[in-house]
This record gives sequence, C-alpha cells and structure tokens, in this order.
Amino acid sequence: MSNVNLSCFLISYLVAFGLEVTRLLRRGAIHRGVMLGFGWAGLVAHTIYLFVRSDKLGLPPLKSSAQDWMLVLAWLGVFVYMVLATRDRDLAIGLFMLPLVIALIVAAVFGSSEPNSMVVAGVGSHRLVMLHVSALVIGAAGVLFSLVSSLMYLFQHRRLRHKTTIQTGLRLPNLERLGTLNRYSVMYSVPVLTIGLIAGFVLAIRAEESVEGSGFSISDPTVIVSGLVWLVMVGLLLWLLRSKRPAGRRVAWLTIWSCGFLLATLAVSLTAREQFSTFHSSRTVPTGMLPPIDGGTR
Amino acid sequence: MNVQVVYCNHRTADLSLRERLAFSSADQINDAYRRLQASYPASEVVVLSTCNRIELYAAQENSNQALQHEEIAEFLSDFHNVPTDEFIDGLLTSNGSDAVRHLFEVVSSIDSMVVGEPQIVSQVKEAYELARKQGTNGPVTNILFQRAVAVSARVRRETGLSEGRVSIASVAVGEFARSIFECFNDKVVLVVGAGEMARETLRYLNDDGIGNLIVVNRSRPRAQSLADEFGGRAGSFDELDECMALADVIVSTTGSPEPIVDVARFRRVRSSGHHRPVFIVDLGAPRDFEAAVGEVDENVFLYDIEDLQATCERNRRNREQQIHRASRIISEETDRFMHEVYHRATGPIIKQLREDWHATSQDEMELLFRKLPNLTQDDRRTIERSVARIVNKLLHPPLETLKDEARQGTPHGLVDALKRLFHLRE
Repeated sequence: MSNVNLSCFLISYLVAFGLEVTRLLRRGAIHRGVMLGFGWAGLVAHTIYLFVRSDKLGLPPLKSSAQDWMLVLAWLGVFVYMVLATRDRDLAIGLFMLPLVIALIVAAVFGSSEPNSMVVAGVGSHRLVMLHVSALVIGAAGVLFSLVSSLMYLFQHRRLRHKTTIQTGLRLPNLERLGTLNRYSVMYSVPVLTIGLIAGFVLAIRAEESVEGSGFSISDPTVIVSGLVWLVMVGLLLWLLRSKRPAGRRVAWLTIWSCGFLLATLAVSLTAREQFSTFHSSRTVPTGMLPPIDGGTR
Repeated sequence: MNVQVVYCNHRTADLSLRERLAFSSADQINDAYRRLQASYPASEVVVLSTCNRIELYAAQENSNQALQHEEIAEFLSDFHNVPTDEFIDGLLTSNGSDAVRHLFEVVSSIDSMVVGEPQIVSQVKEAYELARKQGTNGPVTNILFQRAVAVSARVRRETGLSEGRVSIASVAVGEFARSIFECFNDKVVLVVGAGEMARETLRYLNDDGIGNLIVVNRSRPRAQSLADEFGGRAGSFDELDECMALADVIVSTTGSPEPIVDVARFRRVRSSGHHRPVFIVDLGAPRDFEAAVGEVDENVFLYDIEDLQATCERNRRNREQQIHRASRIISEETDRFMHEVYHRATGPIIKQLREDWHATSQDEMELLFRKLPNLTQDDRRTIERSVARIVNKLLHPPLETLKDEARQGTPHGLVDALKRLFHLRE
C-alpha cells in the first residue's frame, strides 16, 4: 500500500476523463464500465494514499500539508462524481468535474508536502485547528460544486438557445435544477467558509500570543487574500439573496468568476506560500519549536 | 424444437389490409387463441397485433408438428373473413433462427416504422402476457419472449437507437422543455389555440401533471373543452397578455395569418411579469410569435415548428445510423439463444451416452481387477485412466458431429439414430 503514489490516481482520473470525452462519440456498457472502473480505482488509490500519508506523519490529512489539504478537496470532488456517474449512466458530470479535480491534483504536486509548521509546533487546540481546516475544505468543496453546476448551466443554456438536440453522452440536468444547485451551493459554502476563516484568525491571534514573532499581522498576504476572497463570496451571496432574478446565465457567470477566483487563489496561495513570508509558512515558526518528523532532525 | 413466425407489417401490407387483419381488441385475441389452441394443440402460440404489424409466433417440440404458412393464412382468412389471395403475398414466414432474429429485431424497434420508438417493447410484453393468461404459451415461447425483452434492453443500453425524440410534440417537451424545467406540476402552462397539436403537446406535458393550465382560444367552447380534458381553465383572447405574463410554458397553435405576438408586445408582457425562464412552442404556420421574440431576454426560449422539425429529422438520422450496431447485437444474441436452445435439446443425449459408456467400462475393469489381484493401486489407476481416455476418444467424433449439427437446428434425425444405435432411454 505504501507504493501507491500521487501519479497512480492522477493517471486513473486522466484515463477516466479521456473515456468521458470519447463517450461523446461512442457509448456502450463496456466503455462505461471501463470508465467507472478507472474512476473507482483512482478513488481507492487516492484514499489509500491519504491514509498512508496520514499514518506516516501522524496527522490527519487536513491538518498536515497544503498538498494533502488539496488532495482531500480533490477526493471530495471525485467521490461526488463517482456516486453520481454510477447512479446515472447518462449524466455527463465528469466532463466538468474531472478537469477541475485533475487541476487540483496537479496544483497539489507543486504544493508543499511538508506538514504545517504551526500544527507540528502544536500551536492552537486540536479542535480549533480541525474546525479551521475542515470548514475551509467543506466550504471549498461547496464552491467546487457551485462552479461545476454553473459551467453545466451555461453549457445547457447555450444548447437551448441554439436549439440543438441533446448530443450522445452529453446529457445534463435541466436549467431549473442546475440553478437551484448553484444557489444552494453558494448559500451553504459562504457561511462554512466564514466559520473556517474566523477559526483561522482566532488561531493566528493565539499563535501570535503564544509564539512571539510567529508572523501574524493584518497586512499579512494570507490575511489580505483570504479576506478579499471572502468579501467576493459574501458579495455573491448577498446579490443572490437580493436579486429578483436568482437563476439565469448572469448568475452562472458571476458564480464562475467568484468561485473560480476563490479556487485559483486557494491553489496559488497553497502552492506558493512557502515562497512568501506569511504566518502560514513554515519559515515563520522558530525552528527550535518544530519537532522531528519520521524520527529525523530539523 | 421449432419456432416459426408468420407475419405481415408496414413493409409488406398497406394500412387498409393491416386494419382488416388486426386483432383489435383483447376479446378478439382471446377468441383467436381459443381457436388456435383447438386447431393446433401441440403448438405454443403468441399473437402480436399492433397498428403496424400482425405477427403470429408458434413453437413446437417436434418438427413434424410445425405450423405451415398456408395453415396460418387459412386461419387469418377464416377469422377475419378476408379472402386469402388478398393478403397471401404480403404474409411472410420465417423459421428457426430467422424467426428468433425477427422477434429480436421487432422488439428492439429496428423493424418499426419509426426506428427506436419505445412502445413496441410494452406491446410485445402485453402480447406475451395475454398468451400466458390464455395458456397458449409454453417453455419455448417463455424463454424466447423473456430473452427478446432482455435483448431490446441491451440494444437500447448499448446503442443510441432510442435516443432523441422524433415527433414535433415529443421533441418540444422531451428535448427542450424538460431541459429547462424540473417538472410542470408547479408551472403555469398557457395554450393559445385548441388544435390537435396543442392537445398532443399537452399529453406530453401532462405526464407528471400540470400546475395551472390556461387555454385561450377565439372559440370559447373549444377552449373550455380542451381545458376540461386536462383539468385547466379557459380564458378569453383579451386576457392573453396577462396570461402570458404568468406563464412558464406557452404553446401556441392558432391558424392566424399574421403573428399574434410581436417583440414590442412581448417585451411589455415580460416587463410586467416574472423574469424566470419562459418556454414558447410556436406550432403555428405561419408563426404566431415573431422570431425576434426569442431575443427579448436570455431567459426566453422560443422554438418554432421549423426548429422542432429540424431536430426531429436530425434525431431520425442519428437513430438510423445506429441500426448496424443494433443488428450486430441482435445477431450475437440470436446465435447465443439458438446455441442454448439446441444445447438443451442435445444435452441429455450426450450426458446419457457418456454415462452409459463409462459405466460399461467401469464394469469391465472391475472384472479385470478381480482376475488380476496382484495389481498395485498405481497399476489400477493407470489402467483406469487409459480406459477413460479410450472411451472419450471413441465418443469424441459422434458427439462433435452432434454438436456441429445442433448449430444448424435441433438434429432430430441424428438424435433418433443415436438413441436407436446405443439403446438410449427417453
């Protein structure tokens, strides 16, 4: 099991996506079976990888590294895709979900695989850290589904406006359902993200109190970027709640921009944060506070 | 085992003839079953009668009891009082694997007038069910019709044969309206005009109920009649704008020579009503809605009869392109079915022959071992293996010949010969 690496499930998802694309031209039970087989095999490998990592580091995946956090987010996306694709043989959700999942995994490759220094240093209570990382990953998953439903909405809307027939292998849910799904995804993910951010700020303040020079400041890039993203998402939520036209193409576009911005910001900040001096990066915690990993020394 | 089908369909007989030969009611079919049972007690029979085909499937255990084409023609002639020479040329017969293939093609809808139409599956199921109730089915027709339904499901699953609707109303509702709305039981449906196309479209919309139906027509009684049929209310033409402002779905089928709704009027309606998506099916020729109405805002989805006809045509072509894939599946399933059936017919003979020969060889070896008591266990095993190999080698040619013959149909002659030559019991 320890031989399972990131490329095992990345390749499985790439093959599953390739088969989803070829379903547009040709469909059949064997084709679908192979596609689902690769998808489930990838998901199993993905799960094993996260368990092995967690076991090796002695930390839950959400609490360990930026890479693991993104892989958990990708896992949630694949899990929902696999359940839906297995239940509904015609639904083409993989064409929209798998590229995002693959992008997340590729971004994770560039993210730090080192455990979060503050977690290793034991800054903040376990419950508060778990609340912070879990709320953020669940909120980000909601944003991911919102993005996928908006992409499907635009695709379906375009087909209907162009009066074209349903293409083989490209059946999507109706506009009404997609609009509702999008609306509820945003409505649920913004409060969850807010909880995650508040927990994060509490953690950062406590870190500043307990470890002098841990690097927390209101002008910290992480604080500015996450605050900005949160404001965008809250703006979208308020607009959705107050809009007279809560469903439609405009909502889908707005969701794509906001959610895309959030996911891109998350991916960039998690992959590049070691290059910046923020309270989240390992260089900010005094080296003496970090315990050895895997029996090694720092 | 024998299977035959005697049939006429939309390719071999015109509608007027099919109407005269059809079994139009359950009583008529039951009567036909009673007469067929009385005349041909050794045959299992299933009658399939739809507006496009009249088919009589029969199966027997022995080939000498097979129904003849002329016998069925006589039966149809007597039953419907139609002279034989009026339909004999259009009445075709298939036997054995051809009959099985024909049923698989029929139930998979590649032999239908509208390729891929789904009703034929339920029609075949109903025909079989009726035969079962009348007791005219049997072991062969049971397995044949059950397999036919499974083959049809496989064809639909593995090909795009039944994808895409091919009638105007079904395309409007199935391909477009259902891609916009989750359901119609919470929607306002406005019908402008009360023609047959409006009624057909309403039938599709009404599958899971319509929330609120309003029918507007210049003739109030006709509007009322259509509204009553689908549980809606009739409105007057003067209320059209108010009704349009409320509607989620508008079906328009007036015979007006000029468009009744232009862009300016619809823009006014839209600004006073909701801003949710509105689906407009304009079935009028000439059009009832100006084409530019579809551009009033992004949530207006306007489809006229040309758009829908183009989709129907495209779907029809797509379905026809799938026929060769469906035929390949049907050939494969026919071969598999025939192989299973013939294997079932020859299986007991093969088993009995093997058992008899091995029992005889075992008896002889027991005698030999009693005469040679000094043989070791290893020697005995070696002898047993050699004798078993000899028996298998001797049996191989006749059994292979039997299997080869079975691929073409039940080899009754060969089975009889084997029974007589080797004194096999029934």
